[in-house]
Amino acid sequence: MPPRGALLAAAFLCWGAGAYAASAYRSPFPPPSEMRAPLEGAAGDMLALAAGARRLFADLWFVRLMQYYGAREMPAEAEQPGHEGHAHSVDGLGHAHCDHDENYGKGRYPLFLPMARHVLEVDHSFAAAGLYGAVSLAFGLNRPAEAEQLLAYGLKYSPREWKYLTVLAAIGYSKAQDPAAVARTIAPLLKDPDCPVMLKQLAAFLNKKAGDYAAAAAIYADIAATSRDEAYVKNARRELEKFSSRAGSRR
Amino acid sequence: MRRAAPVVLSVALNSFSESVRNRFFTLFAVFAFTAVYASVLAGVMAVDQEARLLADFGLALIELTALAYALFGASSSLLREAETKTIYLVFSRPVPRWAYLAGKFCGSMLTAALMLAVMALLHLSLLYFRGFGVPEAYGWALFGTFLKLSVIVSFAFFVSLFSTSAVSTLVISAIMWTLGHFASEARFLAEQSAGLKGFLLGALLWLVPNLQLFNVRDAGAALAIGPSALFSAAAWTLSSYLGALWLLSRKEF
Repeated sequence: MPPRGALLAAAFLCWGAGAYAASAYRSPFPPPSEMRAPLEGAAGDMLALAAGARRLFADLWFVRLMQYYGAREMPAEAEQPGHEGHAHSVDGLGHAHCDHDENYGKGRYPLFLPMARHVLEVDHSFAAAGLYGAVSLAFGLNRPAEAEQLLAYGLKYSPREWKYLTVLAAIGYSKAQDPAAVARTIAPLLKDPDCPVMLKQLAAFLNKKAGDYAAAAAIYADIAATSRDEAYVKNARRELEKFSSRAGSRR
Repeated sequence: MRRAAPVVLSVALNSFSESVRNRFFTLFAVFAFTAVYASVLAGVMAVDQEARLLADFGLALIELTALAYALFGASSSLLREAETKTIYLVFSRPVPRWAYLAGKFCGSMLTAALMLAVMALLHLSLLYFRGFGVPEAYGWALFGTFLKLSVIVSFAFFVSLFSTSAVSTLVISAIMWTLGHFASEARFLAEQSAGLKGFLLGALLWLVPNLQLFNVRDAGAALAIGPSALFSAAAWTLSSYLGALWLLSRKEF
């Protein structure tokens, strides 16, 4: 047994050597100063950092985001008996009217961008969440500027993420009112296992609109075969049935 | 040294078999139930990201379960042997203290390795039955967890030799585990702080093992456990072991 003092000195030396070897390490994650958690999520974020479980908590934030976007957003008067599901306005004569304008059912979802950004703040490598957020903002909620903001944040920590760049290009074409170019641009994304089903749905819709029924049918078939989201699967099957009945009537 | 090797082995095997008999399988049952329950929930909530959520949830649960059990074992093992006077019997034989401590540590790590392996198997079969393959860098994530456990279990042995109860050892070790995961964020804060505050924070960071170095479970394939991470794990583990040996050598048995 070596002298006690030598044991203690060796222990300190080893600890120092371990710390020195680790000193070059820098976290790949966004720093905590960039986390803009809503108040009710701050404890969860603390836990994510304390347990080294950013990935898991990013998943949970993503589920919350999907639930938020999945919940129908309506003004309070739309929940009154007999007027469920739509908003109201009052005309110049004081008469109340039911509104069924083009934005009906689309919702505003004001927290969508902060929530989507927060998923990336917790785990920047969650590209599927970044794509889902950007596509929803740009094409679902018609807020391309916010989508670009989200993608810019994602690219800050994942500069080589080609999927973000592709969606950025698609947003550009969308602004230029060129749906065929949007469909062409997002086509490579559809083969990626991380591609959100919403983007596939959009691609199928754009192809159908552009008259490319074969491409649209292929995408719908892919959705029906691979997605776990029942709503999208049902819609894809419905579209496929329409295509086959159309093809049958032509014959 | 060559004569002591069988001693280390027999202490390790004894410690391992004791651990295995000790509520070991109840923990597995709890893990299995929680994992299956979570998978049903995840299927409903995560939709197309179910595979990722299941993988992340499972790996986190594996680590927490193994950590809880390993810390429980490490914090109570030496104390229990001192209370039951078993340690006096051991040291009345030609058993060097370093070999005894090394055996205890190896036994704990053997238990941790078995727990990780069985839970990983359970987790992978769950993923398989849900229609998913092996997640990316899964083996590395488990290896990283094992390295973290090695650092924190040897630290728990060190603490158990000066703390008054198993609970305080558990609490101190759990705090160290938490601080270890905060180390990267604390380093960022230290670099942002100027003057004495930054210097003190930077100096304090040398006292905390940076467990993010091994956290492949969180960083995924982006984090490779390279030679420097392996060296750090070995150095921190050895340091706690030497510290524990120093404390053990001061005790009268």
